Amino acid sequence: MKTDDLIAALAADTLPRRTAGQRLVRVLPLALGAALGAFALFWGLRPDLVAALASFAALKTVLPLVLALLAGVLALALSDPQARAPRLAAMLWLFGVCLLIAFLVAVAGAGLSGLAGALITSSLLICLTSIPLLALPLLGAALWALAAGAPAKPAANGAVAGLAAGGLATGIYSLYCDQDSVLFFLPAYAVAILIVALIGWWAGGRALAW
Amino acid sequence: MRAANRGDAGAYRQLLQAITPVLRGVVRARGAALGPEGCEDVVQEVLLAIHLKRQTWREDAPLRPWLYAITRHKVADAFRARGHRIDLPIEDFAEKLPATDMPDPMRARDMEKVLDRLEPRAADIVRGFGIRGETVAETAARLHMSEGAVRVALHRALKSIARLRERMME
Repeated sequence: MKTDDLIAALAADTLPRRTAGQRLVRVLPLALGAALGAFALFWGLRPDLVAALASFAALKTVLPLVLALLAGVLALALSDPQARAPRLAAMLWLFGVCLLIAFLVAVAGAGLSGLAGALITSSLLICLTSIPLLALPLLGAALWALAAGAPAKPAANGAVAGLAAGGLATGIYSLYCDQDSVLFFLPAYAVAILIVALIGWWAGGRALAW
Repeated sequence: MRAANRGDAGAYRQLLQAITPVLRGVVRARGAALGPEGCEDVVQEVLLAIHLKRQTWREDAPLRPWLYAITRHKVADAFRARGHRIDLPIEDFAEKLPATDMPDPMRARDMEKVLDRLEPRAADIVRGFGIRGETVAETAARLHMSEGAVRVALHRALKSIARLRERMME
């Protein structure tokens, strides 16, 4: 086929195309509904939720949602072929470093035995499987939306989408989780979210390549 | 491009025709080893990407940097797939802008292979628009489809072509 013929065929295709942002607005409510529905069916709210949200433990919900927002905006920015979002990326790194410092300070206070005591509970495995499971519909939706974009680095775009999906899923899961120790939720949630980011990195390299 | 996003096929076609010689110049300057036909394959791949990713251009942004970004990514991708590692500095573009507008006698090879592997009806629709210059209404009448169905079929066919080309390269 000659290039001029290809151009004629391309020009004939005048269907309007939606941007990644528009697709996200359409699909996010569906995915969120699926995650919340599964959460209500298989997990459920912790009985003392109101008291927990009024305490320091509210951070368990707030921090992941802040991460989801930051990573979500960054993921959309990265789907632009000329993406320049150094400030957003820096904010995301700063967020991670702050949490790491908070974790190290807490470990310094309690000692490694204190960390092991708080972390090694039956909740750990539940947490590490529940968050990725809840994140799957959200990550799927995000990748579907971002497939309309043209990221310079598809895998990185997928990983950031994974951070956003993981953060959102963790915010939901935290309403069930009754482990309020910083020594539990900081490392456990972080590892769970990074698992989702890893899945996003792998899937993004395939689904977002163009 | 703005008109193209609103569905003005004529304006869009003019735009694609205007940028093709520039693309060809860039690809040939970089990929002489691929031969003229191989270069034309790459040019067609870039055009497909521009088409399928046109929604990532924001209407308030200048068009040229966006075209550079898409082309850079696609050319690097195409050369990598063919085993040539090539960096494409943006300055190349500025110099190549007044590239000589050669007539296009070149028939790219890959596209025929891809069309052969496409579903026959989809390939027929693409050939109808491309080679025979049919309109939506003519295609619809010939295939006894509604005009809306023809538009959707063409759109899906172009997406499949991009996907098949990607897979062929792997």
